[in-house]
Amino acid sequence: MSLLPRALHPMAWWVWALGMATAVSRTTNPLLIAVLVAVVGYVVVVRRGDAPWARAFSAYLVLGLVVVLVRVVFNALLGAGVDGHVLFTLPQAGLPGWAKGIHLGGPVLAEEVLAAAYDGLRLAALLCCVGAANALANPKRALRSLPPALYEVGVAVVVALTIAPQLVDSVLRVRRARRLRGASAKGLRALRSIAIPVLEDALSRSLMLAAAMDSRGYGRAGEVPRGLRRATAALVLGGLLGLCLGLYGLLDATAPRVLGLGALAVGIALCAGGLVLGGRRIERTTYRPDPWRRPEWLVAGTGVVCALVMVAASSYDPLLLHPSLYPLRWPDLPLLPLAVVLLGLLPAVAAPLPVRARAAAPVGRVEVAA
Amino acid sequence: MIRFAGVTVTYPDAAAPTLRDVDLHVPEGELCVVLGRTGAGKSTLLGAVNGLVPHFTGGTLAGHVTVDGRDTRTHPPRELADVVGVVGQDPLAGFVTDTLEEELAYGMEQLGLPPDLMRKRVEETLDLLGLADVRGRALADLSGGQQQRAAIGAVLTTHPRVLVLDEPTSALDPTAAEEVLAAITRLVHDLGVTVLVAEHRLERVLQYADRVVHLPGDGTVTSGPPALMMARGVLAPPVVQLGRLAGWDPLPLSVRDARRMAGPLRERLPVPPVVAAPSGAEALRAERLVVRYGDVVAVREVDLRLRGGQVCGLMGRNGAGKSSLLWALQGAGRRSSGTVDVGGRDPAAVGSAAARRLVGLVPQTAADLLYLETVAAELAQADLESHRPAGTADGLLARLLPGVDRGAHPRDLSEGQRLALVLAIQLAAAPGVLLLDEPTRGLDYAAKARLTTILRSLAAEGTAVAVSTHDVEFVASTCDRVVVMAEGEVVADGPTADVVLASPTFAPQVAKVLSPRPWLTVADVADALDLPRPA
Amino acid sequence: MSSSRGGHAADVRVLRVRPRAALALGLASVGGVLAFCWPLLVDPGAVLESTSAPLVFALLLPVMLGVVLAEMSDGGMDTKALAMLGVLSAIGAALRPLGAGTAGVETVFFLIVLGGRVFGPGFGFVLGATTLFSSALLTGGVGPWLPFQMLGAAWVGLGAGLLPRVRGRMELAVLAAYAAVSSLLFGALLNLSFWPFALGSSNQLSFDAAQSTMENLHAFFLFTLATSLGWDVGRAITTVVLVLLAGPAVLASLRRASRRAAFEAPVEFPSAARPSA
Repeated sequence: MSLLPRALHPMAWWVWALGMATAVSRTTNPLLIAVLVAVVGYVVVVRRGDAPWARAFSAYLVLGLVVVLVRVVFNALLGAGVDGHVLFTLPQAGLPGWAKGIHLGGPVLAEEVLAAAYDGLRLAALLCCVGAANALANPKRALRSLPPALYEVGVAVVVALTIAPQLVDSVLRVRRARRLRGASAKGLRALRSIAIPVLEDALSRSLMLAAAMDSRGYGRAGEVPRGLRRATAALVLGGLLGLCLGLYGLLDATAPRVLGLGALAVGIALCAGGLVLGGRRIERTTYRPDPWRRPEWLVAGTGVVCALVMVAASSYDPLLLHPSLYPLRWPDLPLLPLAVVLLGLLPAVAAPLPVRARAAAPVGRVEVAA
Repeated sequence: MIRFAGVTVTYPDAAAPTLRDVDLHVPEGELCVVLGRTGAGKSTLLGAVNGLVPHFTGGTLAGHVTVDGRDTRTHPPRELADVVGVVGQDPLAGFVTDTLEEELAYGMEQLGLPPDLMRKRVEETLDLLGLADVRGRALADLSGGQQQRAAIGAVLTTHPRVLVLDEPTSALDPTAAEEVLAAITRLVHDLGVTVLVAEHRLERVLQYADRVVHLPGDGTVTSGPPALMMARGVLAPPVVQLGRLAGWDPLPLSVRDARRMAGPLRERLPVPPVVAAPSGAEALRAERLVVRYGDVVAVREVDLRLRGGQVCGLMGRNGAGKSSLLWALQGAGRRSSGTVDVGGRDPAAVGSAAARRLVGLVPQTAADLLYLETVAAELAQADLESHRPAGTADGLLARLLPGVDRGAHPRDLSEGQRLALVLAIQLAAAPGVLLLDEPTRGLDYAAKARLTTILRSLAAEGTAVAVSTHDVEFVASTCDRVVVMAEGEVVADGPTADVVLASPTFAPQVAKVLSPRPWLTVADVADALDLPRPA
Repeated sequence: MSSSRGGHAADVRVLRVRPRAALALGLASVGGVLAFCWPLLVDPGAVLESTSAPLVFALLLPVMLGVVLAEMSDGGMDTKALAMLGVLSAIGAALRPLGAGTAGVETVFFLIVLGGRVFGPGFGFVLGATTLFSSALLTGGVGPWLPFQMLGAAWVGLGAGLLPRVRGRMELAVLAAYAAVSSLLFGALLNLSFWPFALGSSNQLSFDAAQSTMENLHAFFLFTLATSLGWDVGRAITTVVLVLLAGPAVLASLRRASRRAAFEAPVEFPSAARPSA
């Protein structure tokens, strides 16, 4: 049975992508990383829609390349250069004393360059996973998954997302209108003659929007009983305190490990409880909520399984996932991790095809397009 | 359904109350039209219905406003959202989401209605307002009429018993306005919704009204059945003015009523004198003008000549290419091919500073040109950029519209004042050709009459004027010549009477009443009968 | 209106930060400082190390940020404030791509600083967060760095709302100085939090948990000098230039909008049914 085209729940994409990111963070094996990037890229290509954000993935690929390059160059220039295979030797330059006796250049070692490249690759692959989520998940739908307690902030962001493209039109319009006054304003005045009308326009729009929202029932908050408010406050403040203590514990080597992790876990639980209770005051429903059905379970599950298996594998046999540099050796492609990474391909078939906008030319807006 | 009892509204900084001791009752299922000049308090009256005044705006409200039994003292706007639906002037500014379906659902989401009910109501509303075929579209991509209907739909989904509309048709072409008004009357007739609508263009709505509420401007409010209110001599559309002139009783409120009484008048009227359109020297000549944006051809090989001393009206549906044509003529907008010749020079080739001395353009959103903090600063800047002696623009503004506060912020002016300011700024360059894009939007009768006087006197001084507008009554009283555009092409071009009489969409009310006699305005009829012109 | 004549540090306090929210904000800020400065604070042998720390913080920071934002909007946010927030975030998000790609030209801070100044610290805090969030959603830039950017920008907006009450030229000078300092700090903090992650651990500018705070700070300083200082200084300069040049006009527009929105205008219903006419 083929799935009807629809948008997959954005959170499912995020869980999958973050799962893949966690998986890749456990390895520096370049072959494995390359396979994972290919898997993620393939899923993006076959399951992204035609919205503007769907084009984000290539930017992340470029960013990843930059990361790898920066790492390699830095390490070549600033490598500690103890012993190993010398690739070539750069001219050396000493730095003044305040620079902590750092020396630039010198012999460039294959091991160091490779280590930097592997590490960079891993980071680049992480970026690719994040880019995949950005390309696949509809950000506006994702906003609906915000906890109810953050409803107001979510609305502000929705408003921003709606208005931002209109602002671009507004700028184009005003810039064209400037010519009607001879475009005589230069420099600061020129900036001003564009910025001020656009800003004033946007600000008066905000007032009209507020009136419209008010009249349409926005913010019909139910009365919150005093007890509930107190409980929310206690949960939230206790949770934050827990988080701070937990973080401190994790940073301090002398603190017992359990204390740090425990405080962190309690903190998160309390905060989550606070958010849930705080959301009680919002009595709202959602029009055509995004369903969470089998495809969502499959996609999100894939990510979780990949992450878990890789984490387990890395603690079971770290050498499997980190190719040896001393001695320098061609990396293997371990079978189990490879299978796990390939499992990440599942969303390419398990997720439904996105709904594509029919190729209809939009009406209106043409006159502004100049 | 709506009851005002002894309502007085005073804003925080105001010296005098905006509404004074208002008693008003609008029964259920009535369509009630609110009349009044700009600044008479219409917005305050409308805002008070759902409590935006004073909960949202600040201020003092004495007395009681009750809607469906709920007092606005104790019910802020959001608590009245299921009873009163409010549609503002600019629909796009009031949209919270960016697609039609989500916008329709927004109000229901706030009220916490169950999802299946929401789904059902969205479908009903799409059908009711004829929006089903654009359901998935982005709101910004809808046409003006569709946006206005979407805004109405967005408040209808909560099934309010009262609908408040602030100038719902001011930005629409006649056909789109008819669609919106048809939708509104359908709500009144089929669903029993009580509608309160403020509208400057009475000729569009009066025939549908059950009640007229008039704000004379001193804070008081009078109301009554339309015929009675019209007889009392408040603001009136041309058909009523004609009725008053001819002494018809009862006063006609629609063209149909008037036509049935107009037989004797038609006989009595002489054949109107054929007034040759003033034909000054040719001021602008455009040939084979094309404007295209990608695949969309906005202006298709248009030839146009404008003569000094003539006011030329440019009409046509929204999106027919009027704005693109005006912008291309001025030289600031895109021109894909073709030539424009103004006294031997091409405004697009001489640079924008010189272009505005050849052709002045007042854009649709006139405020786009204003960026300084006082009227005086804008006027001084206009003198500078036009290389005129200081005080030129100031003098022009004083002539166009006396009494504009020079220290005011340009954004705080009324529509009419802001238009006069921009006009003064553009006229400071003394262009031989003046183009205006939709200047009548949001103007009340008095401001429109003022604009007519201004444009006529500019033409009398030899300027060639072209003005795009949807307002047929304005065209009838202002223009010598009318050009009609459709799909980027000129489909009609000739003396006003010839063009507007040929089309039911563009014919003014007087012409419809007196057809086949080619009379266009009440003033002309009054002159022919040697009666005083209506104020 | 009295509120526009000054008297508050900011003109109006559109979003009041009640004691409870302030406490939450304080706690979250402590957590935030830990998240930003962990490379300087971490002990060798602590649970957190170079690879895990950024991930842990990238997960925890959204929770803390979410809780604080929820606390600040608890009890419902005024619609006018919310719409203003949306519009200003939209402007910020639309301004942001203008600078991207040009070294260090960052146009978004300027608006956050002025917004915080005019509408108060609470508003500034939320504005900083929502602006960066909207911008990331618009450009597909959601990632582990986003919570850090949001918190940093939120602090910038908060601080702008707390600046001393001065007007005229003095105000502009104070704002410009604040803009410079806050943009530099923002850059440094973001840099710091990702330093171990960005550079790996094997070279001379790398973070090394075994070394003392001072030594790490020194290495970090050198790292900043070598990588992003140009960028950060560029950001500070653009922000200062924008504040000085466009500040007065934009402040005037924002204040006008604030006045027209009548945030603190009294709403009264005199009990007399009919005023003596």
